[in-house]
Formats: sequence, C-alpha cells, structure tokens
Amino acid sequence: MIEVLVPGPLTSVQDAFGRPDWRHLGVPVGGAADAWSARLANRMAGNSDNDALLEITLGGLELRCETAANAALVGGMSVSVDSLPVAANAVFPARAGSVIRVDPGSGARGYLAVAGGIMVPPILGSRSTDLRSGFGGHDGRALRSGDLLEIGSSSTTPRRWTGSRPDGPIRIVPGPHATGISLDGEWTVGTEADRTGVRLDGRRLEALGEVPSMGLPLGAVQVPPDGRPIVMLADRPVTGGYPVPACVIRADVGRVAQLRPGDKVTFASVSLGEAREALASAEAELAALEAPGDENLGWTGSHE
Amino acid sequence: MIRPFGESALLVELGSAERAQALAASIRDNTIGGIVAVVPGAESVLVELDPWEIESERVAHALEGRLARTAELAPIGRLRRIPVIYGGEHGPDLADVAKLCGLTQAEVIERHAATELRVLFLGFAPGFAYLGGLPDELHVPRLATPRTRTPAGSVAIAGSMSGIYPADLPGGWRVIGRTSLVLFDPRGDPPAYLAPGDTVRFEPISG
Repeated sequence: MIEVLVPGPLTSVQDAFGRPDWRHLGVPVGGAADAWSARLANRMAGNSDNDALLEITLGGLELRCETAANAALVGGMSVSVDSLPVAANAVFPARAGSVIRVDPGSGARGYLAVAGGIMVPPILGSRSTDLRSGFGGHDGRALRSGDLLEIGSSSTTPRRWTGSRPDGPIRIVPGPHATGISLDGEWTVGTEADRTGVRLDGRRLEALGEVPSMGLPLGAVQVPPDGRPIVMLADRPVTGGYPVPACVIRADVGRVAQLRPGDKVTFASVSLGEAREALASAEAELAALEAPGDENLGWTGSHE
Repeated sequence: MIRPFGESALLVELGSAERAQALAASIRDNTIGGIVAVVPGAESVLVELDPWEIESERVAHALEGRLARTAELAPIGRLRRIPVIYGGEHGPDLADVAKLCGLTQAEVIERHAATELRVLFLGFAPGFAYLGGLPDELHVPRLATPRTRTPAGSVAIAGSMSGIYPADLPGGWRVIGRTSLVLFDPRGDPPAYLAPGDTVRFEPISG
C-alpha cells in the first residue's frame, strides 16, 4: 500500500498503452503521455510493460510506502527516499514507512513504477485514468493527498538500465495534407501543453482551413486556423478536423511529452524507413537492462 | 485514396461516411494481416499498422483489394429511438434556431424529429455521435461564443449535423432539447449507446 502525502500539480494512475480498441465509440486512447518512459520504469521495477504506474507532472509528489517495495523513476525528474537522493533513471528499494519524494527536473513528466504495479480495476481494458471523462485509474481522477493505492505482489528482480535516449531535433514524417508546409525553424512550447497535445509558438503557419474529421494517430501535428501547430498526444480526441501536414515519429512522441512550457524545439524530416529504424532503436534501448550489481541499486548516498 | 499517415498508419479516404463505416466494419470482421486498429472518420478510415510485422505498402495493397469490394456492402446498423424534451430550460437555443431558420419553434421540433439521422462516426468525447442527414432548413452556424459547459443529454445541432452531449462538456453547438438517456457508461457493455452506422430518430416527449 502507498499513501499519497502531497500529489503535486497533477499525478494520475496510467498504464503504457491505454484503450486503443474503443475509438470507434469515441473513447480516446489515453495511457502514459510518454509511454516509452512508462515501459522503461515498469521493466526496471520488474513489472510488465503495461502495468499501472504513476505519471507525475512537473514534480511535487510525496508518497509514503506502507510496505517495502522496489520502485523505479524514469523521466525528467529527480527522486529521493527519506531525503536521500537516488540516481536518475534508477531502480531503488523503499522500506516500509519510507517517504518517496519526486521533484521537478529537466522534463515535464516522471513515471514512478512500483514492483507489482498499482492495483486499480481495469475499465475498457485499461487501468489508465481518463481525466477528462472521469473514469479509470484511481476513481477516475487525479490523485489527492490521503489517497491509498494498493500495490500488487511481485517476485521479480529489479533491473538496471544501461541504455540511452536520443536528443536533438524531434523527427517528423509527412502527414496526409499540405505536405508542402514546413516546420523548419525554432519553436517554443506554449503554455497550452497537456496530455492532449503540445501547442507550439513561433511563426504562424499558413491557415489551411478544415478537413473532414478523421481519426488522429499519436503524434499527428494539427494546424488549426490560428496557424499554431499542435502535436497530438495520448489524450487527443479520437477524431480531428484540422489539416495534418506532419506526424512526429513514434520513437519521438514520448520526447515531445517531456517538453515543458517555454522549452525550445526543432524538427527534422526523416523518411518512413528512417522512422521505422528509429522505432527499432528505441525498442532496443528499452531492452538494455541487466541484473543490478553490488552497487546496491540506485543509491547515491550511503544509508544506515 | 490511401495516404501514409505517419510511419505506422494509413488514411483511407472514401468520400462518404457510409463507405468509411463499411470498410471499418469489414476490417473489424475479417482483419487484414498487419492492421492493429481501424478508426472511422467523417469520410475516411484511419488504419493503424503493426510496425514490426509488415511494411505499410503491403497493407495498402491488400486494402485496395478490400476497397474494390466494399462499395457493395449493405448499410450496417440499428434504429435507435431517443426521447427528447424540446425547448424551455432543456433547449435554451431553440428560439434562436427557429429565428435563424425562419420557422416556428414547433416547426423546428417537427422537422428535427421527423428525420431519420445516421451516426456518421464518433469522436470529440466518449459516446459523442456525429449524426448526419439534418434537413437543409435546419442548418445553422455554431454559437459565436461556445459554452464552457453544455449539460449531459443536451440535443444540439450545428451545420448539417445533430449530436447529443454524453457528459457535461464545453461546446459550440446550439442546444434545442435534452434527453435522459445515458449515451456513455464506461462500465456498460457496450459502453456507448450509439455506434457508427446506427439510424437515430428523436421522439418528442413533454417535460
């Protein structure tokens, strides 16, 4: 069992894959905004990729572990246990009664996986929280202080990660419309950056009008009439009626979800083949796990 | 017309909701290897592919074959009757709609309820169905300033479509009535009352 002491600006229960199979009834996919980091956190904690974990937005979370558990935090945040800092992207043991604190860092979202996963009932095939419609996850809402979360049992071994994640421009491939529109140049992440999408400020793109509403894949870059592009993320509506001149490649969508308002971003066009290679490479990095050595998991300070 | 939509999806443009529904249903009933999801839109189907098993060009080829046969598929769906209380507090925009259409409120209700509408696709929110086939004389623009909250069950119109808000949601459609039917229940089986291809008929009841 875990008790939420301080929830931070927005912490919710998510899984990695959401609800992809109910879109014909208007249900958004949802799930972790940075699914790659969520899967990595789960793997490090010894869980399955799609086990439920916590998605922490901009830090500020404090939890008490009522029972001892291994945990892993992935994403642009820093974490400490009983005020002792833990290395970035590391798996760490938390004893019964210890307090885990997650603080803001270089990215927008952190993923805290606890061995055994968070036990909430699956709804429409997923344990993720649909925050807008208010179902799934923990009572269909963001976590509040005093919430108690049940943790599943686990007999697996936590693992250490030796992989890496690319930096540099966000890679894009052409979308179905107006492929002549270029996203060249530097963009700034606007204040409207949430689980639905990330709006970019910079030059105004040519207004392209509307198109018949169509299903939107993850990473679609919509251009609404104001000419400010939006990269669509996990909670995007099922369909959209604005032209889509480009799509962020699947390997880089999670990196977009880590951008914070005010961050600068550039794009680079790649071929479909390069996009698939990048996805294969992102999967290979996820698999770069090994049994922890004698360095006692992720501790950076001595203890006891 | 089949276009790549990112590295692991295709957008199949069919020109009508009926053909889009037929293709989506056909793939759901009898899948094509390499396809992991189909999402119908107003005139298109988003086809998502498993990026590991297959190259999108191969699926596109298989889709072409399916498309050639899909035009002949019969319309799918059921008739769904939806009881509505029109006007008053339940339909705050009915008077404006009547004015915009040059009709009386009773005539708006009569025309809205006399038409068999069709679920073109769902989107915007869980259970929100875009209903096509609204008669020309009921075509009105959206509200200039959308409401921050349109109550659950609101029956509304905009452009050539009608819709029902399944939950309290922001919205710019003009609300002419309200139903007590539950349009979306995540624990229901199925979770949504309406599905693509359904025929919908509104039935006026008195409040």
